[in-house]
Amino acid sequence: MTTLTPKLSVRGLKKNFDGKGVLHGIDFDVLDGEFLSILGPSGCGKTTTLRILIGLLEPDAGTVLLDGVDVTDAAPDQRSMGIVFQNYALFENMTVRGNVEYALKFDKERKDRRREIAEKALAQLGLSAQIDKPIHELSGGQQQRVSIARTLVLEPEIILFDEPMSALDVETRLSMRAELKDIQERLGTTMIYITHDQEEAFALSDRIMVMGGGEIHQLDTPEQIIAHPADEYVADFVNKNLRIKMDSLARFMDR
Amino acid sequence: MGISKGISLTRIALVLFFLVAAVLPLCGLLASLLDPAAWEVFSSPQFLPACLNSVSIALIAMLLSLSIALLVSWVFCRTNIRGKGAFAVLMTLPMLIPSLGLGMGLVFLLGSNGIITNLLGLDVSIYGFWGIVIGAVLYSFPSAFLLVYDVLKNEDASPYEAADVLGIPKLSQFAGITLPYLRKPLISAAFATFTLVVTDYGVPLMVGGKTITLPVLMYQEVIGLLNFDTGASIGFVLLLPAVVAFLVDVLNQDRGRLGFVRKARVIREDRRRDFAGYVAVGAVSVAILLPICVFVLVSFVVKYPLDLSFTLGNIGRSMNLNAGAYWLNSLAIALAVSLIGTSLAYLAGYITARVGGKSARVLHLACITTLAIPGIVLGLSYVFAFKGSFLYGTLGILVLVNIVHFFASPYLLAYNALGKVNLNLEAVGATIGASRWRILKDVLVPQTAGTILEMFSFFFVNCMVTISAVAFLATTLDMPLALLITDFDAQRLTECAAFVSLLVLLTNIVFKALFAGVKRLLMRRAGLPASA
Repeated sequence: MTTLTPKLSVRGLKKNFDGKGVLHGIDFDVLDGEFLSILGPSGCGKTTTLRILIGLLEPDAGTVLLDGVDVTDAAPDQRSMGIVFQNYALFENMTVRGNVEYALKFDKERKDRRREIAEKALAQLGLSAQIDKPIHELSGGQQQRVSIARTLVLEPEIILFDEPMSALDVETRLSMRAELKDIQERLGTTMIYITHDQEEAFALSDRIMVMGGGEIHQLDTPEQIIAHPADEYVADFVNKNLRIKMDSLARFMDR
Repeated sequence: MGISKGISLTRIALVLFFLVAAVLPLCGLLASLLDPAAWEVFSSPQFLPACLNSVSIALIAMLLSLSIALLVSWVFCRTNIRGKGAFAVLMTLPMLIPSLGLGMGLVFLLGSNGIITNLLGLDVSIYGFWGIVIGAVLYSFPSAFLLVYDVLKNEDASPYEAADVLGIPKLSQFAGITLPYLRKPLISAAFATFTLVVTDYGVPLMVGGKTITLPVLMYQEVIGLLNFDTGASIGFVLLLPAVVAFLVDVLNQDRGRLGFVRKARVIREDRRRDFAGYVAVGAVSVAILLPICVFVLVSFVVKYPLDLSFTLGNIGRSMNLNAGAYWLNSLAIALAVSLIGTSLAYLAGYITARVGGKSARVLHLACITTLAIPGIVLGLSYVFAFKGSFLYGTLGILVLVNIVHFFASPYLLAYNALGKVNLNLEAVGATIGASRWRILKDVLVPQTAGTILEMFSFFFVNCMVTISAVAFLATTLDMPLALLITDFDAQRLTECAAFVSLLVLLTNIVFKALFAGVKRLLMRRAGLPASA
């Protein structure tokens, strides 16, 4: 956290699908340079929130402010946000370079310099040696970096992550988690990370926003959430493992 | 993100296409049943025997095709025989020939003057019930084989390892693991082969003799007697098993995705088992190759079966009888259907697999429903719907009927391939300012190029061999090549009929080889693994 001015302000966000409420008016701020995780089980509204932030979905009510500017109605490519999807959604028919350059093709200012910008971003992420390789020859970690490079070249204010690692095996996840943490520390870009995996959220985040039933239950640092869960739901969701251990310990003592 | 106008328009256009090209003609056909006179055929003396013949032949052929398909697939997946790839191609060879040609090949072999009949001095004749069964198996086996083999080769080996550890005997493993695993493809294959056989008139026309089946009855009524209304009544009856098959197949669809982890099978050394495998696959190969080789042979003899000396004269004779022009007709139809059909099916698959929404579900249903309409019924319904219109009697109507007839399978290829590509690509596009169409053109089409070629190839090959949907619609001018087989056969130009079958086969082989080459090239250029 470099400063305390909110990078992103979300106010009164509401969304219904077929008359069913998915978001019941949520408010939160994200600070500049912060790594914020949105944590919750499937169906809690976290993906809906993310799709509204990036502009893939229109909210029924509420506003999204980026650096104080209302971007609620802006097109996804007009709001200085990048996104990394589950399984990375790379263009598998293109090379590493091709993937990154393609993102610049539709940007009038950077279009003509796309070769040089792509090379620089890929070098920054340690992918210079893989630059002309096809995607299917890369490791999972390298694919994650290509996906980040593809959003980075458009110089986003915020990068969003939509459960990028949820389809991967445990070992790959651990190493990619470390890699992502390292990238965030080096670049200092504001990142919002969606996950249902509490361990992942605790390992990566400056702050965690626990969601359930279309509402925010708690938004705080990992330490505070463990020490002072705001309600039963947060305690239940976050401390499940801990509790089970305590329960069995108690049973053991009773004997 | 709203769905762009272009996509809504495409969707409406596709729904209208199905309305005009499939729904309305069928309604017209069914409407003709309102006339009580159309029901007379049901009480005619030929109807009931034809019905019984059709059903029993289709049932027996289905059982035989399935058993052979299971046997061959098992040999391919559980033995170490060499040349599996070449054998697998051989197994599908009958798909490249019109069913009329297959029937004719059987006659050359086992007919009253057949090569084998004469060689062994046999007194039995192939004409009749069992002849049709043999031809029907030859015709329907490849489809069953493809369905079963495709699933069996992706089977996970770990349950068998567990069974081995537990000491469960092989036969119980087959009954307890393999058969349940193959339940869905076997059901699909059962209904696919049944429908193929019950609606085909090519084989029974050639080898049926006095044994009449429903499609032959329909063919004779319409082509021979011009009784279109009677034909429609029979067509309605033929529609029933196809619709039942379709419904069962839709309910039988495997909705769950295959597991990611699949353990490959290690096939241990066993010479005796492999030898048995060679014998089984060898026997099936010979059974497939014999009727094909024999019409290749007959194409180049002076007068079968009297003068078997070699000649190239049948080529010239066929060409003088316009075979060349009909060949061009076939090529034109096949290319037009492949181009238009592939584009439409791909767009439809794009909308249903990647855009979604309620109307997409309707479109999906419309696309696969074409599976339930037998070609011969669709063709007749076009006679009712388009007679007197500008389309009637042109190549255009033949192109249209073939697109609709063969639409479902290429559509499903596109639907499955596009559904497998990461579903967030369009969202990525939106964040970088690339429209849906750009992502479609720059990413999806290149990534699914292999599938597009397969769709193209499916349309092409089927248009070359089809005799069903086009039979009632073709005129002497725009007739496709395959229909010339019946004409030549009726004029006792047996050698020329054989040559025509050969020409269809060769055309298909050349195009298949061409497609395979282009596919390999595309895959390499796109840097994709060859299996994609």
